[in-house]
Amino acid sequence: MLNYIARRIGIGLLMLIALSVLVFVLLRLAPGDAIDAYINPAAPLSMDELAALRARLGLDQPLPVQYFGWLRAAISGDFGFSIQRAGVPVLPLVLERIGPTVLLMGTGMLLAIVLGIAAGIISAVRRNSVTDVALSVTSSIGISSPAFLTALLGLYFFSVQLRWAPSGGMLTPGAPFSVPDLLSHLILPAFLLSIGHAALIMRYMRSSLLEVLNQDYVRTARAKGVREFWVIIKHATRNALLPVVTLIGSTIGIAVGGAIFLESVFNWPGMGLLLVNAVNTRDYPVIMCATLIVGACVIAVNLLTDITYAAVDPRIQVA
Amino acid sequence: MHIRTITRALAIGGLLLGATALTTPAFAQDVKTITGGFDVGPGGFPKNFNPLAATGGFTWLNTYFEPLVIYNAGLNAIEGDLATDYTVSDDMLTYTFTLAEETWHDGEAFTSADVKFTLDLIRNAASGSVFTGRLGKIANVEAPDDRTVVVTLSEADGGLLSVLAQVMILPEHALASIAPESIATSTWWSTTPIGTGPFKFTRYVTDQYVELAADEDYRRGTPKVDRLINRYFENPAAAVAALRAGEIQFTYVEPEDAATFAGNEAFRVIEGDSYVVNYIGFNQKVDLWKDVRVRQAFMYAIDRAAIIESLYGGAAKLANCGYVAPHLVPEGLNDYAYDPERAKALLDEAGWADINGDKPITWLTYYGSPQAANVMAAVQAMLAQVGVNVVPRVVDVPTYNGTVYQENNPDWNEFPLIYAGLQNGPNPAGINVGLNKSQLPPVGANIMRIEFDDLSAAFDAAIGETDASQVDARWQDVCKVMNEELPWATMWVANRYGVASANLVDFVWTPAPAGGPFAAHPELWDIK
Repeated sequence: MLNYIARRIGIGLLMLIALSVLVFVLLRLAPGDAIDAYINPAAPLSMDELAALRARLGLDQPLPVQYFGWLRAAISGDFGFSIQRAGVPVLPLVLERIGPTVLLMGTGMLLAIVLGIAAGIISAVRRNSVTDVALSVTSSIGISSPAFLTALLGLYFFSVQLRWAPSGGMLTPGAPFSVPDLLSHLILPAFLLSIGHAALIMRYMRSSLLEVLNQDYVRTARAKGVREFWVIIKHATRNALLPVVTLIGSTIGIAVGGAIFLESVFNWPGMGLLLVNAVNTRDYPVIMCATLIVGACVIAVNLLTDITYAAVDPRIQVA
Repeated sequence: MHIRTITRALAIGGLLLGATALTTPAFAQDVKTITGGFDVGPGGFPKNFNPLAATGGFTWLNTYFEPLVIYNAGLNAIEGDLATDYTVSDDMLTYTFTLAEETWHDGEAFTSADVKFTLDLIRNAASGSVFTGRLGKIANVEAPDDRTVVVTLSEADGGLLSVLAQVMILPEHALASIAPESIATSTWWSTTPIGTGPFKFTRYVTDQYVELAADEDYRRGTPKVDRLINRYFENPAAAVAALRAGEIQFTYVEPEDAATFAGNEAFRVIEGDSYVVNYIGFNQKVDLWKDVRVRQAFMYAIDRAAIIESLYGGAAKLANCGYVAPHLVPEGLNDYAYDPERAKALLDEAGWADINGDKPITWLTYYGSPQAANVMAAVQAMLAQVGVNVVPRVVDVPTYNGTVYQENNPDWNEFPLIYAGLQNGPNPAGINVGLNKSQLPPVGANIMRIEFDDLSAAFDAAIGETDASQVDARWQDVCKVMNEELPWATMWVANRYGVASANLVDFVWTPAPAGGPFAAHPELWDIK
């Protein structure tokens, strides 16, 4: 087992290095660099001035020199400074963005699961009723609405017109931190993030439950005199949830994409907003650090999961 | 398998959540606050705190830093700011500034030593300042006493005061201990900066907002509001939503958004000259544009008046040279009124069929707004009518700059034609960098590689003019040469807009290029 763990850690480190090389090269292949992003075309600087700025940032060095310089510093925990935000160290900048993204994504997915499963159960139990049709139409709209449209319409109606929620940010500027303030900023983007996923979950839940409700063991439960509510909740829903759970697992990745878009629209200070902004401004240190941290988390979690599986299930080969 | 997937997802979430902590310090709430999107739009420079490295965002920077001199709010005259008065010698080589009595936000006295420190720091290329080149004619800075600064130039520079208006004076006692090469990456700028302006830096919540507090000791009086907050927005539309929702009291808006506020008594639309001339640039390294008749054909083929009327709602001024300020534009210029038949004739005379014919020509731009897309589509259609086939290519700013600023063996065919803008005011010398042959890369930003002798001579004469009464006449000469030789097909100077809540009192803003700065007097701003 120890050999296995050591080997996996070694492979993980190699994967991180490979990831860093790949991102580094891809960034350099993209047209324009951080200094190009810095220039206002309407008030241009001379090439000499640009060259001086590049030299100060080390962007005039050969690529291998730049890469190994970055790698050497990164190994010691120094990921440098954000080019766009002169003087702001990259590592804390990236780390402080993870929480807001997880908060938005987690809340959105939680809402989607609760709303989707509840709507799916109601729709299946009241099959072919007005409620079923209404929910099915709503879910079709939810699935087919592109994220940008949902976000912008939601922003317009709930924030600008109805003023039910703030139009952006995570906290009221200048106000003391409070959980209600945080929740008031969170609820609208989380709800909008949940719509598409809730609609998908609802459809899966409905069809899965309809299938289960026709099973013999459900009929048997009813024949035994179990109340209909418990038949649905205890006997049918639990079994119908299996494919839905699989769906939820596989849509978490899609939720990350949706969260990134919503972060831009709602100015939510998460990883998505940070990365989109960093790519737009070619802020190399931020992109490299953010990519590596996300990559490291994924590799670490995969490793931990595999080790846990190997520990609890002897049938799984680790060697 | 699905359980494993979920386990992994939950574990990733937990790991990421554990890596961070949400902390926000508490602040008093019952205070008068103006919140705005001061860095939204083309004049903004969000997340930049270092005024030495700023290419925009001066409206906001000027609320806590101050320059020696500053443009008035009409952008038509320079007046004293930290300098109460200044004199210029007859040969325009010596500038003497008399300084105001002021203290830094930490209570230290502001003196001439701070001005000398700032200008010397900028002149040191290691500081990474974008002003190093622009202040290159300064030969010496002296501080004969605490309230006097003497700046001596190696040669006359008519644009010096205009540049100094963007140079924010910095505290020597706070920055002298930082090596010039480390100053650009110092955390001082975004954590504990001190200036002399009416507001003091309080805190920066990363990528969300910056908060300032009133400086009660400000020399022009205590500001009327207690706090100023500058919120960051990823795009103007988000800022407009916040404005409509009452969360902010001011933001820059796109022209199409400005129209939606018209007649709404809860808001005040502020309209002003952008001081950016839009032009179609001809890459002179490409053989297509050598004949002036081809360039003239562009001017005649494009119905600029119709575009201004229909796509800008009339909110733009026709440009027949690089600027439109009446005192800089001479009588008798060719107005290049729309005349497609004449355009065709000129192209025929020039032999356009042999030069290029109907082969597609890439037309590069960094303008990505819907309005710009409409404008380019209209121009494309008009040029097609006379037999010129241009194909717009819209890229982001880094890609554009990376293309036109290529250092080694540029591929000229990547940008044979551009649609761009260049700052043409308040000081018209701003366009010199894009047109004078002395500004060819790498020395300058003449990215279209224009080498017209008459035009360069006219620019040199205007910039080097030492007789103040002749300066406007020299710039009129430049305008006349531009109008005749057409280094660019000049289009227009469009208006730009801001929208302020009607609750703001004595709020001054103008869409100055790079955000100014201009004498906005934030200490007088109030909110009902």
